[in-house]
Amino acid sequence: MPQNADNVLDHFDLFRQPEYREMLANKKKNFESPVAEAELQRVVEWTKTWDYREKNFAREALTVNPAKACQPLGAVFAAVGFEGTIPFVHGSQGCVAYYRSHFSRHFKEPSSCVSSSMTEDAAVFGGLNNMIDGLANTYNLYKPKMISVSTTCMAEVIGDDLNAFIKNAKEKGSVPKEFDVPFAHTPAFVGSHITGYDNVMKGIFEHFWGGKAGTAPKLDRVENDQINFITGFDPYTVGNVRELKRMFDLIGFNYKIVCDNSDVWDTPTDGTFRMFDGGTTIEETEKAVHAKATVSMQEYCTEKTLKYIHEEWKHEIVPFNHPIGVKGTDEFLLKISELTGRPIPDQLKLERGRLVDAICDSNTHIHVKKFAIYADPDMCIGLVSFLLECGAEPTHVLATNGSKSWAEKVEKMLADSPFGQNCHVYPGRDLWHMRSLLFTEPVDFLIGNTYGKYLERDTGTPLIRIGFPIFDRHHHHRYPVWGYQGGLNVLVWILDRVFEEIDKNTIVPAYSDFSYDIIR
Amino acid sequence: MSSVSATVQDVFNEPACPKNAAKSEKERKKGCTKQLQPGGAAGGCAFDGAKIALQPITDVAHLVHGPIACEGNSWDNRGAYSSGSTLYRTGFTTDINETDVVFGGEKRLYKSIKEIFDKYNPPAIFVYQTCVPAMIGDDIDAVCKAASKKFGKPVVPVNSPGFVGPKNLGNKLAGEALLAHVIGTVEPEYSTPYDVNIIGEYNLAGEMWQVEPLLKEIGFRILSCISGDAKYVDVASAHRARATMMVCSKAMINITRKLEEKFGIPYFEGSFYGIGDMSDSIRQLAQLCIDRGAPQEFMDRAEAVIAREEKLAWDEIMSYLPRLKGKKVLLITGGVKSWSVVAALQEVGMEIVGTSVKKSTKEDKERIKELMGEDAHAFDDMSPREMYKMLKEARADIMLSGGRSQFIALKANMPWLDINQERHHAYSGYKGMVDLVREIDKALYNPIWEQVRTPAPWAKASDSWQAKADAEAAREAAELAADPAKAEAKRRSKKICKCKTVDLGTIEDAILAGALTQAQVIETTHAGSGCTGCRGTIDGILEDMAARGGEVIELDPLQAEEKRRAKKICNCKEVSLGTIEDTIRAKGLMTVVEVTAETEAGGGCESCCETIDEILADVHAKDPVPAMAAE
Repeated sequence: MPQNADNVLDHFDLFRQPEYREMLANKKKNFESPVAEAELQRVVEWTKTWDYREKNFAREALTVNPAKACQPLGAVFAAVGFEGTIPFVHGSQGCVAYYRSHFSRHFKEPSSCVSSSMTEDAAVFGGLNNMIDGLANTYNLYKPKMISVSTTCMAEVIGDDLNAFIKNAKEKGSVPKEFDVPFAHTPAFVGSHITGYDNVMKGIFEHFWGGKAGTAPKLDRVENDQINFITGFDPYTVGNVRELKRMFDLIGFNYKIVCDNSDVWDTPTDGTFRMFDGGTTIEETEKAVHAKATVSMQEYCTEKTLKYIHEEWKHEIVPFNHPIGVKGTDEFLLKISELTGRPIPDQLKLERGRLVDAICDSNTHIHVKKFAIYADPDMCIGLVSFLLECGAEPTHVLATNGSKSWAEKVEKMLADSPFGQNCHVYPGRDLWHMRSLLFTEPVDFLIGNTYGKYLERDTGTPLIRIGFPIFDRHHHHRYPVWGYQGGLNVLVWILDRVFEEIDKNTIVPAYSDFSYDIIR
Repeated sequence: MSSVSATVQDVFNEPACPKNAAKSEKERKKGCTKQLQPGGAAGGCAFDGAKIALQPITDVAHLVHGPIACEGNSWDNRGAYSSGSTLYRTGFTTDINETDVVFGGEKRLYKSIKEIFDKYNPPAIFVYQTCVPAMIGDDIDAVCKAASKKFGKPVVPVNSPGFVGPKNLGNKLAGEALLAHVIGTVEPEYSTPYDVNIIGEYNLAGEMWQVEPLLKEIGFRILSCISGDAKYVDVASAHRARATMMVCSKAMINITRKLEEKFGIPYFEGSFYGIGDMSDSIRQLAQLCIDRGAPQEFMDRAEAVIAREEKLAWDEIMSYLPRLKGKKVLLITGGVKSWSVVAALQEVGMEIVGTSVKKSTKEDKERIKELMGEDAHAFDDMSPREMYKMLKEARADIMLSGGRSQFIALKANMPWLDINQERHHAYSGYKGMVDLVREIDKALYNPIWEQVRTPAPWAKASDSWQAKADAEAAREAAELAADPAKAEAKRRSKKICKCKTVDLGTIEDAILAGALTQAQVIETTHAGSGCTGCRGTIDGILEDMAARGGEVIELDPLQAEEKRRAKKICNCKEVSLGTIEDTIRAKGLMTVVEVTAETEAGGGCESCCETIDEILADVHAKDPVPAMAAE
């Protein structure tokens, strides 16, 4: 036996032992009706052709390897950004387990979230009882300050009315009448996780500002000098929010990050379990109504929310698209400076110079390299902007959850830069489309999430992991990508991969190692 | 007399170098490279020179005898490529410690040699002497001799400790080591009329490999390349070549010349940089072979390859012409590269706004003049500060230089391309010129320069450090004008002697107190007792004081003007005020660097650079230079 109690082999080694190799080979030969190796290779090669690409892009119904997640995932992300808030997902339990594992694998943190555990009965008769019991149990077990309700498809298909259900539950005494239970309908069959984020944020503002579902008076807005910031669904939220606060404190103005999940996704190991940590308080959320302006760091994560804030509450609204790099940060800070009337602090000026210096120092290594990018729409824009300013060519820009208007925006950016000339934007496409793109129009590097590693394996395109989710690398979410410091991080991540690739290609002894240099 | 200093003196006597030959006996003993200025930012030492010259020999163990510093900093830093052994990339050092310094490191060295033979069995070991063992008296020659005998393999002492001089001297001492211990010790298995040596080519970034296939195709056999991608036996049999091409003009001239003296191998100096130079070099190499018995049709074969390769290269380069034509280049590099790269860049329509000739011979400089015309902006030695100023003022589009200058270019917001040893692209041969052009194109069109040159979006023009500095200077001038006492204090605070930090006031006071000759001033104030560069200025002060002191002899205006103009500004190069003023006017010079380039003033100890700056200001104040200043 290859396995032995004195020296237990893990999967890396165990299944490479001759016994297993033989078993797997036999299984393939005798039970899998394998096609001839030549035929297999022929088809593999065919999937790399333009012919296959055209067929692939003619695909109408099937999505293969989507680069997006569902609305409720975004809903949960938004909910935990508020102090003592537990996300309550009305619907089936399994979905909720997914969100929790997804976030735990990305942030390497526990992810607290409950479900109304709808079963077949509920699917037939409606989920009211699940809501009543669920809210009561959640309230009593976890002692939250707020329960943020969203839905899964199951509840949406049968048409459960959250507003009525929550009222009912309150009447039945599940939670006290004055306890805050904002809600949002977040069916996965509409939009993606960024839509879910948007819906929950809008739901929370509607709840607190708009009279708590008719149970309280609407707030009176008395405009003050505060500026609200909504960060959007951001895989780098831990590093980014802290970086925003640092920059804002340097500038010195009255700001509030509404939905701040930087602490709950980064709790310390000190012997205390924190189901909740940090977050925007209820009071702060309410007071945010008086702000003169609301800035969104990610326009496509907050389309409805911004519209609501602007139309109902007359805030000046300022959307950004996940700004990365010198130009992105310049525009962002200039706008802040304009909104607040405060000058750019010397410290940030220095940091800008340092980022420019760093880009100069390494300029030859990114310049004229071709990149494929897939990410959420806003992050695509941030990355495209940064790559263009480094002289790289973002040859393929793909967002499964990108809209037509998003695509037009990116196309304009590409058209305006000499480095965007042969680059194309692919809204609504998936990673199997990307596979064809990488085969037919190869690039030097791919930027994407963990799932990009399969593209890397198939196409040999080196993957730079930036995005959500990142499951197979740890702690990158702790680093900012916003601000000049954040730009430096993105630059380093890209450069590290560029140099690793050079080393990898020159490491073979007596073949290519004449170029295996210590100085790059 | 130790053998090192004997070798050094021998190296300093280089009849093949016209500059050297023109020197007096005394001058020659001082060596050919300007002695380093204490306190200046300096280049590498003789050890480094020797190490980089020989490090590309791939199959020998390069053992550095010394404390960790020497090998620790030079280990595998060259980017010279090997097609075979990688032993040259392994860092070997005796890493001597305190005990060795007290009791001597010879035993450790011997044991290290033994361990290398035991564990790696290389065909030879090169042992590099460094400062510390040289100072404590370790005799590496004796150790190498003993080890060689004991182990039956060559152990070559490279006696070039850092303190004997600069890097360039080290290159030559490395050459001496090869001549004394390596070349001529192995006979090649066979000889052909096409056997050639290439000396001074290091195969950086694989440059030799861009040239070698063409030479082979023509029919040359590269018997020995010193030292790029070389094997020990190749170097050892270099004495049987029919001809030598010397690539980097100064570095290995002694090997080339002595190969000719001892073995009758003719040589020429050529370059693989630039299309024209590459073709010329092939022709000359072929001609030397023909002169020594190769058939005449050998040249036809060479011409056929030249014609084909030139066409290929030009076809590719032409596509870049529209993007590069008229772009201005500042070239800071050493030796032969200056003129060979100048030629290459001119081929693609670029304009050279200046080039350094620091490591170039007189002939190199002549070639540059030939290529760039009489008013070539060629600079002997450029401090980082001057380089920065030059970049800012010349408004060049790109700087080509070695790695160490890159950060100056970047701080001056200037695109930069590495053409010295740390570059990662091979620019030699026909293909290399296409690569260089492509890299220049890439660097020029990198969008980051636009970012760098435009101020931050929130910055007002008046906020830039340049504007602030100008404003500060204007404020200071106004303040001085308003307050004569302050102006006098400022005048008196001017540093006359930089070495001993003595200001004008101190010297004037000393003169008033009775120091009436230069010698007395030096004695009382110590001014002028350092580099001696300010002694002329002290004379001037003495004269001024004497004039002010009453013994005023009224001169007629013409005489006075003559006297004024005769004043020595640069004592090192003996350049008078009149000469400087005339040159500034005649050539429309704007910067100290230019004045130095044109008149040599300031090219010595540099202590008069400030004075030159003032002269520039005076001349332009009286007589604004129209065309150039307006730009």
